[in-house]
Amino acid sequence: MRPSRVLFWGVFTLAGVWFENVIPGVDFLAPGFILSIQEERWPVTFWLAVLWLFIQEGAGSLAFGSGILWYGALAGMYYFGHWLFEARNFLFMFILGVCLGLLHFLLTQVMGALNDWTIITERVFLECLLQALIFPVEWGLLFLIYNHLPEDANAV
Amino acid sequence: MRPPAGWDRDGARIISHRLGPNAALETILIDKGALAGLHVNTPVISPEGVVGRVLRLSPNAANVLLITDPNSRIPVASQINRTQGILRGEGPNRELTVEYVPLGAPIEEGEVLVTSGLEEIFPKGLPAARVTRVVKGGSSLFQTVFAEPLFTPERLEEVALLRRSAGALVVREEMALQDETDAPLTPPADAPPAATAAGQSGRAAQPGQAVKPEQTAQPGQAVKPEQTAQPGQAVKPEQTAPQTAAAKERKAKPGASAAPAVKPRTPSGQKPAPGASPEKPPAAKPAKKPQEGA
Repeated sequence: MRPSRVLFWGVFTLAGVWFENVIPGVDFLAPGFILSIQEERWPVTFWLAVLWLFIQEGAGSLAFGSGILWYGALAGMYYFGHWLFEARNFLFMFILGVCLGLLHFLLTQVMGALNDWTIITERVFLECLLQALIFPVEWGLLFLIYNHLPEDANAV
Repeated sequence: MRPPAGWDRDGARIISHRLGPNAALETILIDKGALAGLHVNTPVISPEGVVGRVLRLSPNAANVLLITDPNSRIPVASQINRTQGILRGEGPNRELTVEYVPLGAPIEEGEVLVTSGLEEIFPKGLPAARVTRVVKGGSSLFQTVFAEPLFTPERLEEVALLRRSAGALVVREEMALQDETDAPLTPPADAPPAATAAGQSGRAAQPGQAVKPEQTAQPGQAVKPEQTAQPGQAVKPEQTAPQTAAAKERKAKPGASAAPAVKPRTPSGQKPAPGASPEKPPAAKPAKKPQEGA
């Protein structure tokens, strides 16, 4: 992988964690996961997903496995959807964001029920809305930045 | 902030507050974990008061459930009037509520609520919240009491972790061992159930700790703390040990007073100085043997 790509994913991970701290409950790394599926080879995507999975699982309060379900369902929805839509279409990303928002609500409620926890439904609903809105916008920005990176260190 | 007697204090830094899509609860992440000797339910405090308790552990980090989370419930007592209740979180930026405060119980606005220690997680007497409103009325048998936490979650940077000191742990293990050896005893047939539950040491049963007749020990049945407590209320070993020791004393020496046979302990759980109290007579030892197959 080129140094510019390494730098891109490193900065993206740091920025994503910072944004997650600013707006809790929203996954800012999920658009990067989809972008890596679209643009990178699968070993790169795999290791990025493992890194982000550990971050989400370690920082979150749900039982272990929620992150695996989260990213697994996201990858499943993407592969299912790209048979029907153009994979790099903004409309497809918008639909994927809506599905991700619904998945966040479902996953939080199910994991809360399994752990016998009381979940603040109003807050989860707001997080779902933010997730659905932020996902396609962030993916669009990432797509533009990624495809305008210099090809090598000497290129300007 | 000085830790309570029998507890040690350790500091920790907060790595993050709520983070990511899995942050469904009101938690913070601290930089100490299992390798630093933490356990689930380790009390976490700040100079202002109780912050929460450890919810999940990893080797080098731990999730702390804040008292503002709806899943947090802590038994508390008001500092002045000693009115007891259960402090419950209601979510971020919302007032806490105190549940199960009877209508007639005195409690004032501005009064500080301190931990009562009944759940045996937090030490007794730590400030937890301040009463903001007391609402009486309606058809409920309980008052509606609102309180505010003493700390601001967003401004927390460091916290203190409380752990039982090594000496206190040894005493607790000894008391647990004594309970196990004293367990299979037969209470006297003429003893009333309440006396069996409250013990013979002169300590009266606390309100809410009254034991139902069917919860008393049957012949050959082990007397466990769970049998003398109401659901959700833990009973300290000190409350059960005198009872069993007194029953043994009566069995060994019919007609003798039960009080001298009780091995008194200081309020902090430490053993008294040698000679400060009469030891159990050796004659009572055979009666302690568990009755196998009884």
